[in-house]
Amino acid sequence: MNSRLLTIVLATGLFFSALYLLTVARPVHLPGNQQDYEPVQPVAYSHRLHAGELQVQCLYCHFNAEKSRHAGVPPAAVCMNCHTMVTASFGAVRSEEELATKENRKPRTIVSPELRKIYDALALDANRKPDPARTPQPIAWTRVYKLPDFVYFDHRAHVNAGVACQTCHGPVETMERLRQVPDLSMGWCVNCHREATRNGVGGKKLFASIDCSTCHY
Amino acid sequence: MSADNKTYWKSLEEYEQGGPSGERAAVEFVDTPLRDLSEPGRRDFLRAAGFAFAGAALTGCGRAPVERVIPMLRQPEGITPGRPYYYAAVCGGCSASCGVLSKCRDGRPIKLEGNPEHPVSKGGLCAVGQASLLGLYDSLRLQQAMARGRSAPWREVDAEISRALDSFRKQRRAVRVLTQTITGPALSSQISTFLASFQDARHVVYDVLSASPILDAHLRTHGARVLPRYLFTKAAVIASFDADFLGTWISPVEFTAAYSAARDVDAQPARSSWHIQFESRMSLTGTKADRRIKLAPAEIPAALEHLAVRIARKAGSAVLPGAGSRSPAPEDVMDDLATRLWNARGRSLVVCGLASTDAQVLCNLVNHLLGNYGSTLDVDAPSNQKQGNDRELMALVDEIKAGGVAALFIHGLNPVADLPGGEELARSLARVPLLVSLAPHLDETSSLARYLCPARDPLETWGDSEPVAGVAAISQPAIRPLGQARPAIESFARWSGVDAPAYELVKGFWKERVYPRQERQQSFDVFWKKSVEVGFALVKPQSPTLKPFDLSVVKPIDVVPPSGNGLALVLYANVAMPDGRHAYNPWLQELPDPVTKAVWDNYASLAPATAERLSLKNGDVVRLEASGTAIELPVLIQPGQHEQVVAVALGYGRSVSARFAGAGPKWLERRPTLGPNGKVGVNAAPLIGWENGAVQYWPGDVKVTSAGKRQLLAVTQDHHSLTVPKHLDPGGGPRPIVQETTLGALHSGEAKHEGAHTPSETDLWPDDHPFTGHRWAMAIDLNACTGCSACVIACQVENNVPVTGKDEVLRNREMHWIRIDRYYSGPPDDVEVAHQPMMCQHCEHAPCETVCPVLATVHSAEGLSQQIYNRCVGTRYCANNCPFKTRRFNWFEYSREDRLANLALNPDVTVRSRGVMEKCSFCVQRIQDARAEAKRQNRALRDGEIQTACQQSCSAKAILFGDLNDPKSKVTERMKSKRTYRVLEELNVRPSVGYLKIVRHHEPGKGEGRHG
Repeated sequence: MNSRLLTIVLATGLFFSALYLLTVARPVHLPGNQQDYEPVQPVAYSHRLHAGELQVQCLYCHFNAEKSRHAGVPPAAVCMNCHTMVTASFGAVRSEEELATKENRKPRTIVSPELRKIYDALALDANRKPDPARTPQPIAWTRVYKLPDFVYFDHRAHVNAGVACQTCHGPVETMERLRQVPDLSMGWCVNCHREATRNGVGGKKLFASIDCSTCHY
Repeated sequence: MSADNKTYWKSLEEYEQGGPSGERAAVEFVDTPLRDLSEPGRRDFLRAAGFAFAGAALTGCGRAPVERVIPMLRQPEGITPGRPYYYAAVCGGCSASCGVLSKCRDGRPIKLEGNPEHPVSKGGLCAVGQASLLGLYDSLRLQQAMARGRSAPWREVDAEISRALDSFRKQRRAVRVLTQTITGPALSSQISTFLASFQDARHVVYDVLSASPILDAHLRTHGARVLPRYLFTKAAVIASFDADFLGTWISPVEFTAAYSAARDVDAQPARSSWHIQFESRMSLTGTKADRRIKLAPAEIPAALEHLAVRIARKAGSAVLPGAGSRSPAPEDVMDDLATRLWNARGRSLVVCGLASTDAQVLCNLVNHLLGNYGSTLDVDAPSNQKQGNDRELMALVDEIKAGGVAALFIHGLNPVADLPGGEELARSLARVPLLVSLAPHLDETSSLARYLCPARDPLETWGDSEPVAGVAAISQPAIRPLGQARPAIESFARWSGVDAPAYELVKGFWKERVYPRQERQQSFDVFWKKSVEVGFALVKPQSPTLKPFDLSVVKPIDVVPPSGNGLALVLYANVAMPDGRHAYNPWLQELPDPVTKAVWDNYASLAPATAERLSLKNGDVVRLEASGTAIELPVLIQPGQHEQVVAVALGYGRSVSARFAGAGPKWLERRPTLGPNGKVGVNAAPLIGWENGAVQYWPGDVKVTSAGKRQLLAVTQDHHSLTVPKHLDPGGGPRPIVQETTLGALHSGEAKHEGAHTPSETDLWPDDHPFTGHRWAMAIDLNACTGCSACVIACQVENNVPVTGKDEVLRNREMHWIRIDRYYSGPPDDVEVAHQPMMCQHCEHAPCETVCPVLATVHSAEGLSQQIYNRCVGTRYCANNCPFKTRRFNWFEYSREDRLANLALNPDVTVRSRGVMEKCSFCVQRIQDARAEAKRQNRALRDGEIQTACQQSCSAKAILFGDLNDPKSKVTERMKSKRTYRVLEELNVRPSVGYLKIVRHHEPGKGEGRHG
């Protein structure tokens, strides 16, 4: 009698703990799978704002993607192409202007705290001119997309073949903070290569090799 | 007739037993049983611990470690992260000063490649040059100035040196600068400027491998101390008297390129120079000679004299009436040589590596009488690659010993280790009031110096060079300096009171002194930019003032008759370790010597007959007594060496090699890499002689006695044998691995498939493996290959091949992806040599691929046999099944602890971990890169665009890589040659590597008998 009770209790316990583990364990990936990785970056850069709302082309900032293995994080000098002039959000500038009119003074330059980090990195002074007294300090971004060391992915080959950035990186233009969309597994790569050879990319016929040494050497 | 009936052998054991011997050759892996299998031991413990650890790691695993990506703040134009960029520079490996391109990635050089446009080196780069990259990333390099053994700021050191120099200037005391040959005119001129302010000042130059007698001889015959530029391209007949010009003599890369060009049997019209070598040991050059005459050291000058007499007679000159003694070489050989040379007047070349000015004068005479000056020897635009003066060196050493030198600056040299009497010299040097060393390491000499002012690595600084008059080269830095070292030119400028960076000094010199020597560019800025970009500029050579050939200085030489049964000592330079400057370099220490195939040691080479007479075996330690000192070295029996000779390599036993105490994987059964003296090899410099105004590398008789000890020598010649051991194939004959043909057969068209197995029609993949796109293949011309082993190091650098240490090599576990198999044929006392580069053959029917249980090695659609490290589980079945023995297994996690040295790693190639098989990939990273680049530019791949690392480094242009599916590619053309064959064709594995047969001048076994 006792043993039957014990079995029932244990089985029920096992059932519920399995159920619990399943719900809890779902976001846990296999080792090496970084899907949905969305780390906090040193500068709260918004792809949604730049690529989505303002429709800046991906290759404007990631210009190495066309000519190198690495797409690269843009040098801070690229930010300065726009942000020499644009120092804060439109709303912040407008409210300062309104306040200035109300207080009957010249509007002050508003610098957003995030852009301040870029200016600091480049060692710029208040007028965004190089300040010789300060030393430039590169920005250490946190890498989101990372392949193992034995995989050699070449952005150049894919961009020039006409593969859209979103094919691998997902809807970046909707992301406030960058998140890894695919699991970057080999199966995912190979399926796309097979698909590309079968159906072409953007209506163009091409051959995407699935030889091992395409990526592993 | 057929060359296939020749029997080739790699070692004497193999020769004696008629096949590869011992377990070494029969099995791929030499394993040592670790323990008694019945008891649980270390491995079981580790296994259990491993599982426990893996479990713990698995439960704790989540996200990968956070990695940062740090972009540049401003990306300079022309530099793209992930793309290589190149700077033209000058190789600092030796004084030959070849032109190189330093391939940089992300701010650091990762490989040195020959500059194909350089007029002297023409795109090749030797093993030493390739390996000199590691000098930049040497963590034991001196990083800052030191005074009296302690680090000191440059300001302080400079102030103290200047103060001392000021007082010496007032007291008119002797100031000396001692350097090796400096081919850089800017630095030489800076040293002259520095010395000009002293009353008693001199710049003494010596070379560890001296060519001083050649310069002295030209002073006598031509009235100027010049070193001719030897033009082997134009030479149809070459006679070399102990000059190892393909290995270590003056400018081996330049000479190898020229020599190979003059032997290009596929050229239109076909070229095949005839080369005779007189030597006493087996040199690399000797292995390529069409005729090799082995003579005792004392006999070689006599042979030269006999040749001179014969040529003088033919020229009708009465300058040499007759030679005193009987010719040591057979009369018919000398007659034949004289006739050949005389018939090729103006197209022949006699070179002489003897350390005797009298002999060099005779050599000059022969070349003069043959009309070779102005044709194959250029004295109007001479070479600057050796400027050393042994006489001045001796005077300086005497001066130092007498205490007459107040200030001595030593740059690029280590005289205490390089010269005989080093200990005594060290004691005298310690008494020099101001001893300043610019050496990059703390070595035997620099450790005595009061001030250490380390010079920068050539890759860290601006520099220039003029290796040959009229070819001025600029060396551009490739990296921001890694330490506080200072370029030598800056140091000498600072001590002359000029405070300027090397860039300003070199540029200023070029503006004043080089720019006026050319007329093509109208503005200096354009000239400078152009020269920096391509790496060199052609300017008007500053010709020396020469007198007409002075016949009166020619005199018969005193030929010392060979001393009966005694043994003569021959000190020579090794191809991998030409002088001791690179003793810090593990790549070079582990490079098998092209001839002996030994690594991590020097040794006393003996002829087989001599070893038998003295009852010595390989590895027996002997005591060598000569020049009043003695050293102990293990014996290595060298076929083809003269019976009266003991040959010992210089450049070993250096204190900097003590760093290799921890070389190799750290495990229980490891044996040390270092010898009993705590260094790699033994320094043979104390045995060098000083006579007749020249350093004598043949000091005369040597007493050899057994020391009653044994020392393991790591020799790779028996490793990875392609021959089937006798006991496995009792009825089998020799396999056609190396194949030869003769000039006659080649021209008459008999060479095609002669004796070769007809490839089987049976196809492993009848229909489903078409090669529709590219089909990568390689063609290797064995006739061009000299065995110099530059490709081995080039491959090691390109593909992140680890260094394993001596003990692992002793266990057959060296990791080189390309090796050069050296085969002997003929009897051991008179061998003929063939070199065969051997790497993965990328077989169409690859035997390795069919046995891999996890498909870690599979064929690509372009004909590559791919090895996938992340899939490999290390069964080693593939290696067992490879008929070419080209696969290497990672027995250990090889040392990558030196973080600075890791900067030399190629970021495009995976660093393999323990338990993984690896092999030649045909430099697939270069293929993929070129393909992506072609795609980007929307064009097809061009033939010759992809060069494998081995191909790039090859001075002889023996290796050719390309697309076999391109009917117009060079490799397709070469594969169609009558000489092409595949190794082990009878197996029907269909290698993608084709070899072109060696072309011998003589018919094997008849015609020109070879002198024994």
